[in-house]
Amino acid sequence: MNRYIIFSLIAAQQLFFPCYGQEKSIELEEVKVGGRRYHRAAEGALSIQLLTADSIQKYQAGSLMQTLSRLPGVNAIGIGANQSKPQIRGLGFNRVATVENGIKHEGQQWGLDHGLEIDQFSVGSAEVLKGASSFLYGSDAIGGVIRLSPPAELQETGFKGQFNLLTKSNNATFGGSLQAQGRKGNWVFGGGFTHLEYGDYRVPTDTVYVYNYAVRLKDRHVRNTAGRETHFQLRGGYLSDRFSSIFYLSNYHTKLGFFANAHGLEPRGVDTALYDKSSRDIGFPSQTVNHLKLINRNFIDLDKHKLWIDLGYQKNYRQEYNNYTAHGYMPPVYPKDMTIPINLERLYDKQVYSITVKDQFELATHRLTIGANGEYQDNRINGWSFLIPTFRQKAMGLFVYDQYKFADETMLYGALRYDYSHIQTSPYQDWFESQLEENQSGRIVRASALSRRFNSLVWSVGAAHQFGDLETKINVGKSFRAPIAQELGANGVNYHYFSYERGNQSLSPEQSYQLDLSLTWSPRKVFVAFTPFFNYFSNYIYLNPTSSYDQYYGAGNQIFEYMESRVRRYGAELKLSYQPLKQWKVELLGEYVRSEQLSGAKKGYTLPFSPAPSALMDISWTAKNGKHFKETYLSVDCKWTAAQYHVVPPEESTADYQVFNFRAGTQLQFSGSVLQLRLQVQNLFDKKYMDHTSFYRLISLPEQGRNFILSIGVPFGKQSRS
Amino acid sequence: MKTLQKYTLITVLLAMTVACKKDKESIDTEKPTIAIDSETAFPKQCSTIKRGTSFTFRSKLSDNVALGSYSIDVHHNFDHHSHSTEIGECTVEAIKTPVKPFTLVKTVNIPGQPQQYDAELKIDVPADIDPGNYHFMIQVTDLAGWSSQKGISIRILE
Repeated sequence: MNRYIIFSLIAAQQLFFPCYGQEKSIELEEVKVGGRRYHRAAEGALSIQLLTADSIQKYQAGSLMQTLSRLPGVNAIGIGANQSKPQIRGLGFNRVATVENGIKHEGQQWGLDHGLEIDQFSVGSAEVLKGASSFLYGSDAIGGVIRLSPPAELQETGFKGQFNLLTKSNNATFGGSLQAQGRKGNWVFGGGFTHLEYGDYRVPTDTVYVYNYAVRLKDRHVRNTAGRETHFQLRGGYLSDRFSSIFYLSNYHTKLGFFANAHGLEPRGVDTALYDKSSRDIGFPSQTVNHLKLINRNFIDLDKHKLWIDLGYQKNYRQEYNNYTAHGYMPPVYPKDMTIPINLERLYDKQVYSITVKDQFELATHRLTIGANGEYQDNRINGWSFLIPTFRQKAMGLFVYDQYKFADETMLYGALRYDYSHIQTSPYQDWFESQLEENQSGRIVRASALSRRFNSLVWSVGAAHQFGDLETKINVGKSFRAPIAQELGANGVNYHYFSYERGNQSLSPEQSYQLDLSLTWSPRKVFVAFTPFFNYFSNYIYLNPTSSYDQYYGAGNQIFEYMESRVRRYGAELKLSYQPLKQWKVELLGEYVRSEQLSGAKKGYTLPFSPAPSALMDISWTAKNGKHFKETYLSVDCKWTAAQYHVVPPEESTADYQVFNFRAGTQLQFSGSVLQLRLQVQNLFDKKYMDHTSFYRLISLPEQGRNFILSIGVPFGKQSRS
Repeated sequence: MKTLQKYTLITVLLAMTVACKKDKESIDTEKPTIAIDSETAFPKQCSTIKRGTSFTFRSKLSDNVALGSYSIDVHHNFDHHSHSTEIGECTVEAIKTPVKPFTLVKTVNIPGQPQQYDAELKIDVPADIDPGNYHFMIQVTDLAGWSSQKGISIRILE
């Protein structure tokens, strides 16, 4: 019966749409997470990759997403060396949800120069769910989910922790992190503190050409990209088999400079004597970001029912600073009577309240979960530059999942979810007068009071079956994303991008259908995972650069309009690992994604920031544990990335490149003490290359050059099992 | 084994969907260009203009398919904030505070979607504006939405 349902669904989709898709299943790195781990979870038919804290340390890059981008199908949309946001199979920004401790992380992910506000030292494990996951987390999970969890709690009374010191040669990073956790009976607690300081990062070139303007770099430093980060988190609560309630408090704070010679696409003249005085100071432009989060997670086992209640509050406070520069019709001198500080270009202040309630129970051979979640967002803006209006947003979702053991080794999954959201934007009027038609002048209204309501019904069906060493999974699902304030209400000039962005009040929610397959084969010594997908958007919202300029409202800039189009995406990831000898391992990771707009003004073009196909080969050697050296490893990997010629205005194509990395580590043991040493050399041959998903790619600024990363970890306390 | 057949069939269906792509329509991948080096082009990098006079902006615009529009923006650079996109440094006056700087924003739709277009635009420079370093920005689009920018440093003299 179920077979026919699956077939009919596929057949119907083939008839009505050229494509679909949902999830796959892959495993990750050192940690062999068989699909069975997720067998009884709602996402059991999806592809999930997992990285533990140990792997995050081992592959640590400048930011959490850069570290995770080693996983096939995962990329980082980065700005500079230490800020990046997730991209899964070519979808990023508001199309990937990041979930920490059960609560969706909300920053300013719509923004080009935004980075994910998570301290990578605090992460216990990171899971990547590739594909449309709206049925789990609602809007924004349309392209996938990054799910972060704290370290597992200790099983018995004890206290342990680790102190880490870190240094990186490329941008002269110095930092440290202290993470600890403990348990007394049923009471658990933990916390951590991280502080990092770094200077301007270096690239393998003396000159960067912003258009034809040759920007000389002093000692190859990318001028004004230094930064400082200070993060802490605390957690504590009660934990038993039948009941748990844990509070998580965290604060992420960073101050970061941006490349001074090009703000956006605009070449800037700077006082090089002032900027080059020190490679560690932070001038303009710069940003400070503070993300505060308080979460309470509760679990109650009532025999027949298991209940989860998650409550969250977060406040994202982001300020962008710059010298006041009059563009378009802005007054040449900043008026004295302005209440906005002269260097505050933009400010975003977001507060989010969230709740999720879930009840799981068994009904015959079905395991059912019903639940609801709600979110309220309050967003305010400030600064002399306008991009998105102040807005408030309410969202709620109701969902039901079913996991059904159909036969031995065969699991079926189904999910249905309804979402409702309501967004209200506030009016915004320019603080300065612009010249308008017929020699009139006036303060332009950039956003009006808008109220839109969205409803979405999404579903997902999947199956998993084990044939001996071969695990197969299939999933088909529909996902959605409600339009965001910028897409609906923007009417602002982004001078740094020479663009006048016009929102579209009549946009509908994005609808996406996805088919995912996952094949994993794991006999002895070999592990193979192949995860193809097929995806169709019946309306994808994108920012279309038109052929017109707007003299009055756009101050002479090119009109970029939010529009909808049909989009087809497909691709696959491959992971192959082979252990020919006990101490040797060869690993091959590949990814491919292709997107195409099927209608609209950019019919035939791809989507912005489409990652190029890539393959990574890693050879690693692990030593036998000795008396003083344990878990010693050496590894070399090479990543080949193909050229990306599939571009859409205003992007440029990107050449192919190969980058080599080297890693080594050991646990030094002497008289009962342990020292964890790790060394990485990233970009071993100081290769000059452009990353197609990097923000600075737009101005032809190459990626970071050779980087030696040394970390020393000192574990303390009783290392009992967690 | 039946289950295996099921998955095989699904895979084949998927492969067919992927493979059955319609014929590729050719898409424009080239940006339009702005020629500011020709003899007739004006202004050029480091050109000077006397205030209280008029001059004609001249540039040859071209595209491989069809041009869209162009836009001119003149703004002061008394604080040296902006930099031209061109090679060659010009005479730079000391940093100063603007009093009445010259500001011009002008957009023009290019008629008839041509591949070549000789842009010509008469610009009056009022006599009472601040002399000094200015930035003259030219932008052009093609029909597909590709754009090019040229930023030229000019000086307005008393």
